[in-house]
Amino acid sequence: MTSKAEFRLGFVPLNDAAALIVARDKGHFAAEGLSVELSREASWATVRDKVAIGALDGAHMLAPLALAMALGVGCEATPMIAPFTLNFGGAAMTVSTRLAAAVGLGGRAEGLAKLIARRRDQGASPLTFGVVFPYSTHNYLLRDWMARGGIEPDREVRLTVTPPPRSAELLSEGVIEGFCAGEPWSQVAVRAGVGHIAMRSARFAPDAPDKVFATTHVWAEAHCDELQALLRALLRASAWSEDPANRAELVAILARPENVGVDGEAIEAGLGDIRFHRDGANRPDVVQALWILQQMARWGQVRIDPETTRTASRVYRPDLFDQAMKAAAA
Amino acid sequence: MRVLIIDPDSARATLVAEGLAGVAPLEVRQAAIFDEAEAAAFAPDVVVVAAESPDRDVIESLREAGVGELRPVVMFVDRSEPGRAEEAVRAGVAAYVVDGLAPARVRSILEVAMSRFRLMRQLRDDLDKAKSDLASRRTIERAKALLMKERGLEEEAAYRLLRKLSMDSGRPLAAIAADFLAFAGLLKGDGA
Repeated sequence: MTSKAEFRLGFVPLNDAAALIVARDKGHFAAEGLSVELSREASWATVRDKVAIGALDGAHMLAPLALAMALGVGCEATPMIAPFTLNFGGAAMTVSTRLAAAVGLGGRAEGLAKLIARRRDQGASPLTFGVVFPYSTHNYLLRDWMARGGIEPDREVRLTVTPPPRSAELLSEGVIEGFCAGEPWSQVAVRAGVGHIAMRSARFAPDAPDKVFATTHVWAEAHCDELQALLRALLRASAWSEDPANRAELVAILARPENVGVDGEAIEAGLGDIRFHRDGANRPDVVQALWILQQMARWGQVRIDPETTRTASRVYRPDLFDQAMKAAAA
Repeated sequence: MRVLIIDPDSARATLVAEGLAGVAPLEVRQAAIFDEAEAAAFAPDVVVVAAESPDRDVIESLREAGVGELRPVVMFVDRSEPGRAEEAVRAGVAAYVVDGLAPARVRSILEVAMSRFRLMRQLRDDLDKAKSDLASRRTIERAKALLMKERGLEEEAAYRLLRKLSMDSGRPLAAIAADFLAFAGLLKGDGA
Protein backbone atom coordinates (compact mmCIF):
# COMPACT_ATOMS: atom_id res chain seq x y z
CA MET A 1 0.00 0.00 0.00
CA THR A 2 1.66 3.21 -1.07
CA SER A 3 -1.38 5.43 -1.06
CA LYS A 4 -0.47 9.04 -0.43
CA ALA A 5 -4.03 10.23 -0.20
CA GLU A 6 -5.21 11.85 2.96
CA PHE A 7 -8.43 10.55 4.45
CA ARG A 8 -10.73 12.17 6.89
CA LEU A 9 -12.80 9.93 9.18
CA GLY A 10 -15.38 11.04 11.71
CA PHE A 11 -15.98 9.83 15.24
CA VAL A 12 -18.21 10.76 18.14
CA PRO A 13 -16.51 10.94 21.57
CA LEU A 14 -17.29 7.47 22.96
CA ASN A 15 -15.21 4.53 24.19
CA ASP A 16 -16.37 2.47 21.23
CA ALA A 17 -14.55 4.80 18.80
CA ALA A 18 -11.33 3.27 20.20
CA ALA A 19 -10.36 1.39 17.02
CA LEU A 20 -10.19 4.60 14.95
CA ILE A 21 -8.44 6.59 17.66
CA VAL A 22 -5.95 3.82 18.41
CA ALA A 23 -5.27 3.18 14.72
CA ARG A 24 -4.20 6.80 14.40
CA ASP A 25 -2.42 7.26 17.73
CA LYS A 26 -0.62 3.88 17.72
CA GLY A 27 0.35 4.15 14.07
CA HIS A 28 -1.81 1.38 12.55
CA PHE A 29 -3.02 3.66 9.76
CA ALA A 30 0.52 4.87 9.09
CA ALA A 31 1.80 1.29 8.97
CA GLU A 32 -0.62 0.70 6.10
CA GLY A 33 0.68 3.79 4.30
CA LEU A 34 -2.47 5.73 5.08
CA SER A 35 -2.52 9.31 6.21
CA VAL A 36 -5.73 9.66 8.18
CA GLU A 37 -7.13 12.68 9.92
CA LEU A 38 -9.86 12.10 12.52
CA SER A 39 -12.64 14.62 12.92
CA ARG A 40 -14.35 14.72 16.32
CA GLU A 41 -18.07 15.25 15.70
CA ALA A 42 -20.66 16.40 18.21
CA SER A 43 -23.77 14.84 16.73
CA TRP A 44 -24.87 11.80 14.72
CA ALA A 45 -26.88 13.92 12.31
CA THR A 46 -23.70 15.78 11.40
CA VAL A 47 -21.76 12.52 10.96
CA ARG A 48 -24.53 11.26 8.68
CA ASP A 49 -24.66 14.41 6.55
CA LYS A 50 -20.89 14.77 6.26
CA VAL A 51 -20.49 11.15 5.16
CA ALA A 52 -23.41 11.48 2.71
CA ILE A 53 -21.89 14.47 0.91
CA GLY A 54 -18.30 13.26 1.11
CA ALA A 55 -17.00 15.80 3.62
CA LEU A 56 -15.92 12.71 5.57
CA ASP A 57 -14.54 9.63 3.81
CA GLY A 58 -16.02 7.30 6.43
CA ALA A 59 -16.97 7.27 10.08
CA HIS A 60 -17.56 5.56 13.40
CA MET A 61 -21.33 5.19 13.16
CA LEU A 62 -24.39 3.83 14.96
CA ALA A 63 -25.08 0.60 13.07
CA PRO A 64 -28.82 1.43 12.75
CA LEU A 65 -27.93 4.86 11.34
CA ALA A 66 -25.99 3.24 8.48
CA LEU A 67 -29.11 1.19 7.67
CA ALA A 68 -31.41 4.20 8.02
CA MET A 69 -29.24 6.10 5.53
CA ALA A 70 -29.33 3.22 3.05
CA LEU A 71 -33.11 2.92 3.43
CA GLY A 72 -33.68 6.66 3.22
CA VAL A 73 -35.35 6.75 6.63
CA GLY A 74 -35.05 10.19 8.22
CA CYS A 75 -32.91 11.44 5.33
CA GLU A 76 -32.52 10.92 1.62
CA ALA A 77 -31.36 7.45 0.66
CA THR A 78 -27.58 7.07 0.36
CA PRO A 79 -26.20 3.64 -0.57
CA MET A 80 -23.96 2.73 2.38
CA ILE A 81 -21.63 -0.07 3.35
CA ALA A 82 -20.65 -1.32 6.80
CA PRO A 83 -17.60 -3.58 6.34
CA PHE A 84 -16.53 -3.61 10.01
CA THR A 85 -18.31 -3.96 13.35
CA LEU A 86 -16.55 -1.87 16.01
CA ASN A 87 -18.08 -3.22 19.22
CA PHE A 88 -20.64 -5.12 21.22
CA GLY A 89 -21.59 -4.04 24.74
CA GLY A 90 -20.16 -0.93 26.37
CA ALA A 91 -23.44 0.96 26.64
CA ALA A 92 -25.67 1.42 29.66
CA MET A 93 -28.96 2.77 30.79
CA THR A 94 -28.67 5.14 33.71
CA VAL A 95 -31.50 6.45 35.85
CA SER A 96 -31.51 9.43 38.19
CA THR A 97 -30.73 8.86 41.86
CA ARG A 98 -34.29 10.09 42.58
CA LEU A 99 -35.80 7.39 40.40
CA ALA A 100 -33.43 4.71 41.70
CA ALA A 101 -34.46 5.59 45.26
CA ALA A 102 -38.14 5.48 44.34
CA VAL A 103 -38.25 2.17 42.46
CA GLY A 104 -35.16 0.29 43.60
CA LEU A 105 -32.68 -1.16 41.16
CA GLY A 106 -32.91 -4.78 40.28
CA GLY A 107 -31.89 -4.31 36.68
CA ARG A 108 -35.53 -4.78 35.68
CA ALA A 109 -38.26 -2.33 34.77
CA GLU A 110 -41.13 -3.75 36.87
CA GLY A 111 -40.60 -1.25 39.70
CA LEU A 112 -40.58 1.56 37.17
CA ALA A 113 -43.79 0.20 35.62
CA LYS A 114 -45.53 0.40 39.02
CA LEU A 115 -44.31 3.95 39.55
CA ILE A 116 -45.58 4.93 36.10
CA ALA A 117 -49.00 3.40 36.83
CA ARG A 118 -49.16 5.22 40.16
CA ARG A 119 -48.22 8.53 38.56
CA ARG A 120 -50.84 8.03 35.87
CA ASP A 121 -53.53 7.47 38.51
CA GLN A 122 -52.43 10.71 40.17
CA GLY A 123 -52.56 12.55 36.87
CA ALA A 124 -48.82 13.33 36.95
CA SER A 125 -46.93 14.04 33.74
CA PRO A 126 -45.10 11.17 32.01
CA LEU A 127 -41.43 10.60 32.90
CA THR A 128 -38.87 11.64 30.29
CA PHE A 129 -36.00 9.42 29.13
CA GLY A 130 -33.21 10.26 26.71
CA VAL A 131 -31.65 8.21 23.94
CA VAL A 132 -28.74 9.18 21.71
CA PHE A 133 -30.53 9.11 18.35
CA PRO A 134 -33.76 7.63 16.94
CA TYR A 135 -31.71 5.14 14.88
CA SER A 136 -29.53 3.68 17.60
CA THR A 137 -29.18 0.38 19.42
CA HIS A 138 -29.58 2.46 22.59
CA ASN A 139 -33.09 3.53 21.58
CA TYR A 140 -34.08 -0.08 20.85
CA LEU A 141 -32.54 -1.51 24.04
CA LEU A 142 -34.14 1.11 26.27
CA ARG A 143 -37.53 0.42 24.65
CA ASP A 144 -37.08 -3.34 24.92
CA TRP A 145 -36.02 -3.06 28.58
CA MET A 146 -39.17 -1.06 29.33
CA ALA A 147 -41.43 -3.34 27.29
CA ARG A 148 -40.16 -6.41 29.18
CA GLY A 149 -41.18 -4.68 32.40
CA GLY A 150 -44.68 -4.04 31.05
CA ILE A 151 -44.18 -0.41 30.00
CA GLU A 152 -45.34 0.79 26.60
CA PRO A 153 -42.59 3.25 25.69
CA ASP A 154 -44.55 5.12 23.02
CA ARG A 155 -47.52 5.67 25.32
CA GLU A 156 -46.35 5.67 28.91
CA VAL A 157 -43.09 7.62 28.88
CA ARG A 158 -41.73 10.52 26.90
CA LEU A 159 -38.66 9.62 24.85
CA THR A 160 -36.38 12.36 23.69
CA VAL A 161 -32.95 12.68 22.12
CA THR A 162 -30.26 13.93 24.49
CA PRO A 163 -26.63 14.58 23.62
CA PRO A 164 -24.65 12.11 25.82
CA PRO A 165 -22.09 14.71 27.02
CA ARG A 166 -25.01 16.67 28.47
CA SER A 167 -26.86 13.71 30.00
CA ALA A 168 -25.41 13.99 33.52
CA GLU A 169 -26.41 17.64 33.68
CA LEU A 170 -29.93 16.94 32.36
CA LEU A 171 -30.34 14.16 34.97
CA SER A 172 -29.30 16.42 37.82
CA GLU A 173 -31.59 19.23 36.60
CA GLY A 174 -34.51 16.82 36.45
CA VAL A 175 -35.07 17.38 32.70
CA ILE A 176 -34.75 13.60 32.16
CA GLU A 177 -35.10 10.71 34.60
CA GLY A 178 -32.84 8.34 32.70
CA PHE A 179 -30.89 7.84 29.50
CA CYS A 180 -29.33 5.08 27.45
CA ALA A 181 -25.97 5.87 25.86
CA GLY A 182 -22.54 4.50 25.10
CA GLU A 183 -19.84 4.77 27.74
CA PRO A 184 -18.21 6.69 29.32
CA TRP A 185 -21.31 8.86 29.67
CA SER A 186 -23.11 6.66 32.20
CA GLN A 187 -19.93 6.57 34.28
CA VAL A 188 -19.74 10.35 34.13
CA ALA A 189 -23.28 10.57 35.57
CA VAL A 190 -22.50 7.96 38.24
CA ARG A 191 -19.32 9.76 39.24
CA ALA A 192 -21.14 13.07 39.44
CA GLY A 193 -23.48 11.39 41.94
CA VAL A 194 -26.59 12.01 39.83
CA GLY A 195 -27.20 8.59 38.27
CA HIS A 196 -27.32 4.86 38.87
CA ILE A 197 -26.81 2.23 36.19
CA ALA A 198 -29.98 0.20 35.74
CA MET A 199 -29.01 -1.89 32.72
CA ARG A 200 -25.83 -2.69 30.82
CA SER A 201 -26.07 -3.62 27.16
CA ALA A 202 -23.42 -6.35 27.56
CA ARG A 203 -25.65 -8.16 30.09
CA PHE A 204 -29.04 -7.28 28.66
CA ALA A 205 -28.32 -7.88 24.98
CA PRO A 206 -24.77 -9.24 24.51
CA ASP A 207 -25.38 -9.95 20.81
CA ALA A 208 -26.76 -6.53 19.91
CA PRO A 209 -24.42 -4.80 17.44
CA ASP A 210 -23.62 -1.23 18.43
CA LYS A 211 -21.22 0.78 16.22
CA VAL A 212 -19.80 0.05 12.80
CA PHE A 213 -17.24 1.64 10.56
CA ALA A 214 -19.33 2.88 7.64
CA THR A 215 -18.78 4.67 4.37
CA THR A 216 -20.75 5.31 1.21
CA HIS A 217 -20.94 2.69 -1.51
CA VAL A 218 -19.59 5.25 -3.97
CA TRP A 219 -16.51 5.93 -1.85
CA ALA A 220 -15.85 2.23 -1.32
CA GLU A 221 -16.06 1.53 -5.06
CA ALA A 222 -13.61 4.32 -5.85
CA HIS A 223 -11.14 3.34 -3.09
CA CYS A 224 -11.03 -0.47 -3.03
CA ASP A 225 -7.35 -0.75 -2.01
CA GLU A 226 -7.48 2.07 0.50
CA LEU A 227 -10.59 0.58 2.10
CA GLN A 228 -8.82 -2.75 2.52
CA ALA A 229 -5.86 -0.96 4.11
CA LEU A 230 -8.24 0.90 6.47
CA LEU A 231 -9.92 -2.34 7.49
CA ARG A 232 -6.58 -4.05 8.19
CA ALA A 233 -5.56 -1.09 10.36
CA LEU A 234 -8.89 -1.16 12.22
CA LEU A 235 -8.55 -4.89 12.75
CA ARG A 236 -5.11 -4.51 14.37
CA ALA A 237 -6.26 -1.52 16.41
CA SER A 238 -9.30 -3.47 17.65
CA ALA A 239 -7.11 -6.41 18.70
CA TRP A 240 -4.78 -3.99 20.48
CA SER A 241 -7.72 -2.31 22.26
CA GLU A 242 -9.05 -5.66 23.42
CA ASP A 243 -5.76 -6.82 24.96
CA PRO A 244 -5.85 -6.37 28.77
CA ALA A 245 -2.11 -5.68 28.72
CA ASN A 246 -2.84 -2.43 26.86
CA ARG A 247 -5.72 -1.28 29.04
CA ALA A 248 -3.87 1.46 30.95
CA GLU A 249 -2.49 2.95 27.74
CA LEU A 250 -5.88 2.72 26.02
CA VAL A 251 -7.47 4.63 28.91
CA ALA A 252 -4.80 7.32 28.66
CA ILE A 253 -5.30 7.64 24.89
CA LEU A 254 -9.10 7.87 25.09
CA ALA A 255 -8.95 10.36 27.98
CA ARG A 256 -7.09 12.96 25.88
CA PRO A 257 -9.16 16.06 25.20
CA GLU A 258 -9.02 15.63 21.42
CA ASN A 259 -10.35 12.06 21.75
CA VAL A 260 -13.14 11.24 24.23
CA GLY A 261 -11.94 13.94 26.61
CA VAL A 262 -13.28 12.56 29.88
CA ASP A 263 -11.23 11.69 32.97
CA GLY A 264 -9.47 8.35 32.91
CA GLU A 265 -11.37 6.78 35.80
CA ALA A 266 -14.74 7.18 34.07
CA ILE A 267 -13.27 5.87 30.81
CA GLU A 268 -11.78 2.83 32.51
CA ALA A 269 -14.98 2.00 34.42
CA GLY A 270 -16.89 2.18 31.14
CA LEU A 271 -14.50 -0.20 29.40
CA GLY A 272 -15.40 -3.08 31.72
CA ASP A 273 -17.83 -4.91 29.49
CA ILE A 274 -17.11 -3.79 25.96
CA ARG A 275 -16.11 -6.31 23.30
CA PHE A 276 -13.78 -4.74 20.73
CA HIS A 277 -12.40 -7.77 18.96
CA ARG A 278 -12.61 -11.14 20.71
CA ASP A 279 -14.98 -13.89 19.56
CA GLY A 280 -15.06 -12.59 16.00
CA ALA A 281 -16.64 -9.29 17.04
CA ASN A 282 -15.45 -7.32 14.01
CA ARG A 283 -17.04 -9.45 11.29
CA PRO A 284 -20.15 -7.64 10.06
CA ASP A 285 -22.48 -10.61 9.82
CA VAL A 286 -25.64 -9.94 7.81
CA VAL A 287 -27.62 -11.37 10.74
CA GLN A 288 -26.76 -8.15 12.59
CA ALA A 289 -28.39 -6.08 9.86
CA LEU A 290 -31.51 -8.21 10.06
CA TRP A 291 -31.62 -7.88 13.86
CA ILE A 292 -31.45 -4.09 13.52
CA LEU A 293 -34.11 -4.11 10.81
CA GLN A 294 -36.39 -6.05 13.16
CA GLN A 295 -35.90 -3.47 15.90
CA MET A 296 -36.63 -0.65 13.45
CA ALA A 297 -39.82 -2.41 12.37
CA ARG A 298 -40.88 -3.20 15.93
CA TRP A 299 -40.85 0.47 16.83
CA GLY A 300 -42.48 1.67 13.64
CA GLN A 301 -39.46 3.18 11.87
CA VAL A 302 -39.69 0.91 8.81
CA ARG A 303 -42.01 -1.66 7.30
CA ILE A 304 -40.35 -4.96 6.47
CA ASP A 305 -40.80 -6.10 2.90
CA PRO A 306 -38.48 -7.98 0.53
CA GLU A 307 -37.05 -4.75 -0.89
CA THR A 308 -36.22 -3.31 2.56
CA THR A 309 -34.63 -6.57 3.66
CA ARG A 310 -32.53 -6.71 0.50
CA THR A 311 -31.36 -3.10 0.85
CA ALA A 312 -30.51 -3.55 4.53
CA SER A 313 -28.62 -6.80 4.10
CA ARG A 314 -26.55 -5.32 1.26
CA VAL A 315 -25.15 -2.70 3.65
CA TYR A 316 -23.33 -5.35 5.66
CA ARG A 317 -20.23 -6.52 3.83
CA PRO A 318 -18.61 -9.57 5.45
CA ASP A 319 -16.91 -10.25 2.09
CA LEU A 320 -14.83 -7.07 2.34
CA PHE A 321 -14.03 -7.86 5.96
CA ASP A 322 -12.94 -11.43 5.16
CA GLN A 323 -10.64 -10.16 2.44
CA ALA A 324 -8.95 -7.80 4.93
CA MET A 325 -8.79 -10.48 7.61
CA LYS A 326 -7.04 -12.88 5.25
CA ALA A 327 -4.50 -10.28 4.15
CA ALA A 328 -3.84 -9.18 7.74
CA ALA A 329 -3.17 -12.77 8.79
CA ALA A 330 -0.88 -13.46 5.84
CA MET B 1 -37.22 36.42 8.16
CA ARG B 2 -36.81 34.91 11.62
CA VAL B 3 -33.56 33.05 12.12
CA LEU B 4 -32.68 31.01 15.20
CA ILE B 5 -28.98 30.29 15.64
CA ILE B 6 -27.84 27.53 18.00
CA ASP B 7 -24.20 28.22 18.65
CA PRO B 8 -22.30 28.96 21.86
CA ASP B 9 -20.13 31.35 19.85
CA SER B 10 -21.76 34.68 18.95
CA ALA B 11 -19.39 35.37 16.04
CA ARG B 12 -21.45 33.39 13.57
CA ALA B 13 -24.69 35.02 14.64
CA THR B 14 -23.04 38.30 13.71
CA LEU B 15 -21.97 36.84 10.37
CA VAL B 16 -25.48 35.66 9.59
CA ALA B 17 -27.00 38.98 10.59
CA GLU B 18 -24.47 40.77 8.37
CA GLY B 19 -25.22 38.48 5.46
CA LEU B 20 -28.93 39.14 5.83
CA ALA B 21 -28.60 42.93 6.02
CA GLY B 22 -31.28 44.44 3.84
CA VAL B 23 -33.79 41.66 4.51
CA ALA B 24 -36.74 43.23 6.25
CA PRO B 25 -38.28 42.38 8.59
CA LEU B 26 -35.40 40.43 10.09
CA GLU B 27 -34.98 38.94 13.53
CA VAL B 28 -31.88 36.93 14.35
CA ARG B 29 -31.80 35.23 17.71
CA GLN B 30 -28.86 33.32 19.13
CA ALA B 31 -28.88 30.67 21.87
CA ALA B 32 -26.07 28.48 23.18
CA ILE B 33 -28.41 25.53 23.77
CA PHE B 34 -31.54 24.51 21.90
CA ASP B 35 -34.67 24.87 23.99
CA GLU B 36 -37.79 23.32 22.51
CA ALA B 37 -40.25 25.67 24.21
CA GLU B 38 -38.24 28.79 23.40
CA ALA B 39 -37.87 27.73 19.78
CA ALA B 40 -41.61 27.07 19.47
CA ALA B 41 -42.39 30.52 20.88
CA PHE B 42 -39.99 32.24 18.50
CA ALA B 43 -41.27 30.28 15.45
CA PRO B 44 -38.21 30.74 13.23
CA ASP B 45 -38.30 30.41 9.44
CA VAL B 46 -34.97 28.66 9.53
CA VAL B 47 -32.73 27.18 12.20
CA VAL B 48 -28.96 27.50 11.84
CA VAL B 49 -26.99 25.11 14.02
CA ALA B 50 -23.24 24.90 14.51
CA ALA B 51 -21.84 21.54 13.39
CA GLU B 52 -20.09 21.24 16.74
CA SER B 53 -23.35 21.62 18.65
CA PRO B 54 -24.59 18.30 20.07
CA ASP B 55 -28.09 19.79 19.93
CA ARG B 56 -28.17 19.04 16.23
CA ASP B 57 -29.46 15.54 17.10
CA VAL B 58 -32.19 16.94 19.33
CA ILE B 59 -33.47 19.29 16.63
CA GLU B 60 -33.24 16.50 14.06
CA SER B 61 -35.31 14.09 16.15
CA LEU B 62 -38.00 16.73 16.67
CA ARG B 63 -38.24 17.22 12.93
CA GLU B 64 -38.44 13.47 12.35
CA ALA B 65 -41.10 13.04 14.98
CA GLY B 66 -43.06 15.83 13.29
CA VAL B 67 -43.26 17.81 16.52
CA GLY B 68 -44.61 21.28 15.90
CA GLU B 69 -44.11 23.12 12.66
CA LEU B 70 -41.22 21.76 10.64
CA ARG B 71 -38.31 24.09 9.94
CA PRO B 72 -35.42 23.81 7.56
CA VAL B 73 -32.16 23.35 9.46
CA VAL B 74 -28.92 24.83 8.20
CA MET B 75 -25.63 23.61 9.59
CA PHE B 76 -22.26 25.30 9.91
CA VAL B 77 -19.26 23.11 9.20
CA ASP B 78 -15.60 23.80 9.66
CA ARG B 79 -14.23 23.04 6.23
CA SER B 80 -15.69 22.80 2.78
CA GLU B 81 -15.03 23.30 -0.89
CA PRO B 82 -16.45 26.37 -2.57
CA GLY B 83 -19.93 25.74 -3.94
CA ARG B 84 -20.39 22.68 -1.80
CA ALA B 85 -22.90 24.37 0.48
CA GLU B 86 -25.44 24.98 -2.27
CA GLU B 87 -24.75 21.57 -3.77
CA ALA B 88 -25.32 19.86 -0.42
CA VAL B 89 -28.57 21.71 0.13
CA ARG B 90 -29.84 20.69 -3.29
CA ALA B 91 -28.77 17.11 -2.63
CA GLY B 92 -31.03 17.01 0.40
CA VAL B 93 -28.64 17.44 3.27
CA ALA B 94 -30.34 19.84 5.67
CA ALA B 95 -27.87 22.49 4.61
CA TYR B 96 -24.34 23.39 4.95
CA VAL B 97 -22.48 26.58 5.64
CA VAL B 98 -18.77 27.08 5.89
CA ASP B 99 -16.82 28.85 8.58
CA GLY B 100 -15.05 31.97 7.40
CA LEU B 101 -17.86 32.27 4.90
CA ALA B 102 -18.34 35.57 3.13
CA PRO B 103 -21.48 37.20 4.52
CA ALA B 104 -22.58 37.74 0.92
CA ARG B 105 -23.28 34.01 0.53
CA VAL B 106 -25.30 33.58 3.72
CA ARG B 107 -28.50 34.91 2.23
CA SER B 108 -28.38 32.75 -0.86
CA ILE B 109 -27.73 29.58 1.16
CA LEU B 110 -30.55 30.25 3.61
CA GLU B 111 -32.89 31.02 0.74
CA VAL B 112 -31.95 27.83 -1.10
CA ALA B 113 -32.50 25.87 2.13
CA MET B 114 -35.93 27.38 2.68
CA SER B 115 -37.10 26.97 -0.88
CA ARG B 116 -35.90 23.38 -1.05
CA PHE B 117 -37.60 22.68 2.24
CA ARG B 118 -40.90 24.07 0.90
CA LEU B 119 -40.51 21.97 -2.23
CA MET B 120 -39.90 18.81 -0.20
CA ARG B 121 -42.91 19.50 1.97
CA GLN B 122 -45.03 20.07 -1.12
CA LEU B 123 -43.83 16.76 -2.57
CA ARG B 124 -44.61 14.97 0.67
CA ASP B 125 -48.08 16.49 0.85
CA ASP B 126 -48.72 15.53 -2.78
CA LEU B 127 -47.61 11.98 -2.05
CA ASP B 128 -49.90 11.77 0.99
CA LYS B 129 -52.78 13.09 -1.10
CA ALA B 130 -52.06 10.65 -3.90
CA LYS B 131 -52.05 7.80 -1.37
CA SER B 132 -55.34 8.87 0.15
CA ASP B 133 -56.87 9.35 -3.33
CA LEU B 134 -55.87 5.80 -4.17
CA ALA B 135 -57.38 4.53 -0.93
CA SER B 136 -60.68 6.35 -1.65
CA ARG B 137 -60.82 4.93 -5.14
CA ARG B 138 -60.38 1.41 -3.75
CA THR B 139 -63.15 2.01 -1.21
CA ILE B 140 -65.51 3.21 -3.95
CA GLU B 141 -64.67 0.20 -6.10
CA ARG B 142 -65.38 -2.18 -3.22
CA ALA B 143 -68.69 -0.48 -2.37
CA LYS B 144 -69.69 -0.65 -6.03
CA ALA B 145 -68.84 -4.37 -6.25
CA LEU B 146 -70.86 -5.04 -3.11
CA LEU B 147 -73.89 -3.18 -4.49
CA MET B 148 -73.66 -5.12 -7.74
CA LYS B 149 -73.50 -8.41 -5.88
CA GLU B 150 -76.12 -7.76 -3.18
CA ARG B 151 -78.63 -5.82 -5.24
CA GLY B 152 -77.91 -7.26 -8.66
CA LEU B 153 -77.11 -3.83 -10.12
CA GLU B 154 -75.05 -3.09 -13.20
CA GLU B 155 -71.75 -1.32 -12.50
CA GLU B 156 -73.00 1.98 -13.92
CA ALA B 157 -76.20 1.85 -11.79
CA ALA B 158 -74.24 1.02 -8.64
CA TYR B 159 -72.02 4.04 -9.21
CA ARG B 160 -75.05 6.29 -9.88
CA LEU B 161 -76.62 5.16 -6.60
CA LEU B 162 -73.48 5.98 -4.62
CA ARG B 163 -73.20 9.37 -6.35
CA LYS B 164 -76.85 10.20 -5.65
CA LEU B 165 -76.38 9.35 -1.94
CA SER B 166 -73.27 11.54 -1.97
CA MET B 167 -75.06 14.50 -3.57
CA ASP B 168 -78.16 14.15 -1.41
CA SER B 169 -76.14 14.10 1.79
CA GLY B 170 -73.48 16.57 0.64
CA ARG B 171 -70.71 14.19 1.71
CA PRO B 172 -67.76 12.93 -0.35
CA LEU B 173 -68.29 9.84 -2.47
CA ALA B 174 -65.51 7.95 -0.65
CA ALA B 175 -67.17 8.65 2.73
CA ILE B 176 -70.50 7.31 1.46
CA ALA B 177 -68.76 4.23 0.07
CA ALA B 178 -66.94 3.66 3.37
CA ASP B 179 -70.21 3.99 5.34
CA PHE B 180 -71.89 1.59 2.99
CA LEU B 181 -69.14 -1.01 3.44
CA ALA B 182 -69.20 -0.56 7.22
CA PHE B 183 -72.98 -1.06 7.33
CA ALA B 184 -72.79 -4.09 5.10
CA GLY B 185 -70.27 -5.62 7.50
CA LEU B 186 -72.47 -4.79 10.46
CA LEU B 187 -75.54 -6.38 8.89
CA LYS B 188 -73.57 -9.50 8.10
CA GLY B 189 -72.33 -9.61 11.70
CA ASP B 190 -75.98 -9.57 12.86
CA GLY B 191 -76.68 -12.56 10.72
CA ALA B 192 -78.93 -10.51 8.42
